[in-house]
Amino acid sequence: MLTKRDLLIKWFAYAALVLALLFIHSFTLHRLTVWGVVPFLPPLIAGTLGSLEDNRSAAIFGLIFGVCCDLTIRAPLPCLYTLAFTAAALLASVLAENVLQPGFLCSFIASLAAFIIVDVLNVLALLIGGRAEIVPMLSLAAREMAVSCVALPICHPALSSVHRRFTL
Amino acid sequence: MRDFWEKHGVRILAVAVVIAVALSLLSFFATTSSFLHNAAGVVTAPFRAAGEAISGWVEDKTHYYRDYTALLEENQALRREVAELRANARQAEKDRAENALLRTLLELRRQKRDLQLESAMILDRSESNWTAALTLNRGTAHDVAVNDCVISAEGYLIGVVSEVGHNWCTVLTVVDTSTELGAMIFRTGDLAIAEGDFTLMGEGKLKLSYLPPALHLLEGDHVVTSGLGGYFPSDLVIGTVSSVATDDDGLTQYAVLSPLVDFDSLTEVFIIKDFAIID
Repeated sequence: MLTKRDLLIKWFAYAALVLALLFIHSFTLHRLTVWGVVPFLPPLIAGTLGSLEDNRSAAIFGLIFGVCCDLTIRAPLPCLYTLAFTAAALLASVLAENVLQPGFLCSFIASLAAFIIVDVLNVLALLIGGRAEIVPMLSLAAREMAVSCVALPICHPALSSVHRRFTL
Repeated sequence: MRDFWEKHGVRILAVAVVIAVALSLLSFFATTSSFLHNAAGVVTAPFRAAGEAISGWVEDKTHYYRDYTALLEENQALRREVAELRANARQAEKDRAENALLRTLLELRRQKRDLQLESAMILDRSESNWTAALTLNRGTAHDVAVNDCVISAEGYLIGVVSEVGHNWCTVLTVVDTSTELGAMIFRTGDLAIAEGDFTLMGEGKLKLSYLPPALHLLEGDHVVTSGLGGYFPSDLVIGTVSSVATDDDGLTQYAVLSPLVDFDSLTEVFIIKDFAIID
C-alpha cells in the first residue's frame, strides 16, 4: 500500500507525463497527416493508464482526464470525452484485472476499446445532426484508430515506467 | 470487481453523469464560454501558441527544402495570372468610373461597406479529426463575439466564431459539419445555402445546397455570402464551384465548393467585429 505522499507523487508524475505527451503531440504529430487523418492521443492515454491502475483510480483518472479534454478539445457533444474516457478507463482496468495481464497487448486492446467508445459517441452525435453518413464516419474512425495506435510504443513504456516505479 | 461496484460504482457513475450534464447545460446556456471552459482556454493559450510556433517553424524548414521546383512552376503560373488580373483591373477601373457616372445621372447613392477588423494569430488547429476548427488569440477582451466572421488577408471567408473566452476564441471553418451560411452565386445572383458535409470535410471542401432548379453552374463560379438577415457581411468569398452532383434522392442537385483559403498555411487572420452596409 502506497503512502499518501507516494500516491500524490505518482499521480503528479502521471499528470506531468500526460502533459508532456500531449505537448509533444502538438509539436509533431499534430501536423502529420496520414491517410487523411491526424494521430489522436487522448484515447491511447485513457486506455493505457486505465489498464495499469485499479478500478477506482482508473475511473477517477478517466473522469478528470475526460473533463480536461472536454474543456480544451472541441467535440460534437459538450460532454463527449467525460463520458467516453470514464467508461474507457474503467473498461481498461476491468480488462487488465480479469482478461489480460497488464502489458503492451492489454494497453493496445484497451486503447482500441477507448477509440471505439469515443467514435461511437462521435458517430451518434453527427448522425443526429444529419450532416454525415455512416460509411464515411466508420472509415474515418478506422483510419484514426490505425494511425493513432502507432504512437502506442511511445505512450505505453512511458506510462508503465511510472507505474512500475511506484508499484510495490 | 464486484466489491468495487458495490462500494463505489454507483457513486462514480453518478458523478460522471452530473459532470456531463453540467458541462452540457453550461455549454447550452452560456452566451460566452462557461467559466471552466474559459479558464481552461486561458491557461492553455500560451502552451498552444508555443506549440503552434514551434511546429510551424519546423514545417517551414521542411517545406523550404522540399518545394523549390514546385515554387518555380508556381511562380511562372502566378506571373501569367498577375498579367491577366492587371488587365481585368484596368477594365474594372473603367467600369467603376462608368458606374459612378451612371449613379450620379440616376441619382443613386453608393453602397458602402464598413468592416471593423481585429487581426488575430492562430493558436491551435483542430486536434480532433471529427471537426475543422481553429483557435485564435483574441476574445471578449478584444470585443470579439460569437458569430463574428473571420477572413483571410485576401478577404476570403475562413469561418465563424463559435465560442469565445477572455483572450481566445474558437472558429468553425467553412468546411466544418456545423457550418451553415446564406450564400449567393456571384455570376448569376442566385441564392443557396453553403453548408459543411462530413465526407467533403475530409477533402477540405463544402456543399452548396438548395440550388434553384433551373440554375446552370460553371466550374470556377465564385460563391459569396449573401448577407441576407444581416448576420454576416455580404460578398465575402466562400469558395469556387469545383463540381455539381445529384443528391441520393436523384431529384435535387448540389455543388461542391472548394474554399480559396489554404487552412494549413494560415497564420494571421482578421475577425470582423462589426460591419455596416450603408445604401
